[in-house]
Amino acid sequence: MSDQNPTTNEIFPKGTSKSFALVELMRGQSPMVGKGPEDTVFSFPVVLLWEITLLLGVTLALFWFSLFKQAPLEQIANPMVTSDPAKAPWYFVGLQELLEHMHPTLAGIFLPGVLVVFLLALPYIDHSRENIGIWFSTARGKRMVGWTALYTLVVMPIYIALDNAFPLREILRDSTAPWVAQWLLPAVILIVLVSIPAIVATVRKASLREILMVLFTVMLVSAMVFTASGFLFRGPGFKLYWPWQMPDGYSPWMEL
Amino acid sequence: MSKIWFVRLETKVLYSLKVFPMDRPNLIARITQSRVWRSFFRHGWPDNPLDRSLTMTSNIFFHLHPVKVSRKSLKWSYSFGLGIIAAILFGALVFTGLLLMFYYVPSVERAYPTMKTIQLSVPLGQFTRNMHRWAAHAMVLIVILHMVRVFYTGAYKPPREFNWGVGVILLLLTLGSSFTGYLLPWDQLSYWAITVGTNIAGYAPVVGDTMRQMLLGSTEVGQSTLIRFYTLHVALLPLLVVLLVSLHIWRVRKDGGLAANDGPDAEYQL
Repeated sequence: MSDQNPTTNEIFPKGTSKSFALVELMRGQSPMVGKGPEDTVFSFPVVLLWEITLLLGVTLALFWFSLFKQAPLEQIANPMVTSDPAKAPWYFVGLQELLEHMHPTLAGIFLPGVLVVFLLALPYIDHSRENIGIWFSTARGKRMVGWTALYTLVVMPIYIALDNAFPLREILRDSTAPWVAQWLLPAVILIVLVSIPAIVATVRKASLREILMVLFTVMLVSAMVFTASGFLFRGPGFKLYWPWQMPDGYSPWMEL
Repeated sequence: MSKIWFVRLETKVLYSLKVFPMDRPNLIARITQSRVWRSFFRHGWPDNPLDRSLTMTSNIFFHLHPVKVSRKSLKWSYSFGLGIIAAILFGALVFTGLLLMFYYVPSVERAYPTMKTIQLSVPLGQFTRNMHRWAAHAMVLIVILHMVRVFYTGAYKPPREFNWGVGVILLLLTLGSSFTGYLLPWDQLSYWAITVGTNIAGYAPVVGDTMRQMLLGSTEVGQSTLIRFYTLHVALLPLLVVLLVSLHIWRVRKDGGLAANDGPDAEYQL
């Protein structure tokens, strides 16, 4: 449509069999309750074009990556020869890292169970409809998430390194019952580490949503730290190494 | 900006093609009024609000979408398209997985040799396997990111509590699908990763050993494990994923689309 055309031509095109009511275009709120139609577009074809674009993009990225990086295939499985290090797939290697620090039932069953229940319960704990559809809800929420992420990013690696240097399991082997060293103490340490930012948030009169964001951030960043530690920093014997000092030419990237 | 661009582009194309069947009886009008078209579709050429609505509601694949979406929910930096990307990756996995199934044999003796065959002598076999593996890793990552996005935008809140729960189950199913597929190459990497992974299940109190044995079909990873993981991987888990993804997407529409739509005064009724 060229701009020289008078507006009336656009609204009432000539030579058409369509009929039009006597209407006038104007700005203003529609009387419809709730969601007005002002700011909506028809899904056809806009959403479908978006989806086709994504489909092509993802497929091309997958093609491109698959051309250059080969899927690994090692020697045939041999139950007699343990591979060293024997690692779980990357999304479970965080759990494997946790296993190094506490009782396997606590690390492998109880904690993941608590996390899944936490996730499922989230919307029933925080059911206010304030600030829905806004990233981090408020500016303060965003700051809280940032600080919590930073806190977790510092505290969790320190916990891993300290517990690795002075493993409670070994130090307290003779002096206390195993459940103290492997259940009680690690659980208390974790609860304290998780609680600190939540308590700070509560003291600062954070809303329920903000406290849950703090807890979720601790969970998310901890999972990332434990996964990174298990995936990148664990070498032969599942011992901690700097990634650039892995012995025997071991590289976790070969085992993806 | 880009979606406005899309609208403009589409409008321009439609204008330049003179796609106005009612204005002049052209080719498109003849197509849409033909017996064949009318047997396929219950709507005309989608250049007007009515036919665009009907296109979405009368098509089994399109009807998971709403007829109209808000511009806010199309904003890239809101959702990053992560849910759609996850669904696309799942589609790529089904497609490449089917191709691999033509060659793969889930037996301890033949699994590894068939992997070698796929990689060395099947046309595009290595490429197909690469795609399957990288899409699988990507899907786990993208599904996690999708959950993170939904959480931080508060999109789990009413009326979307139920769909958030469906999403959590889908995350677990995704992990399960990836984990069961991990064993199938039957090399050292997969064997020991699954041994480590299933040992964790054995630590569950009381039912741990039973759970581990149910998973393995034996006391250690062997033929019975391979066939169990294979069946879970190619039949049960994908079926559950398809069912729940359908429920998930349908429910997104029923709950009012993306949460970006919800202003502070948006109303909903239970």
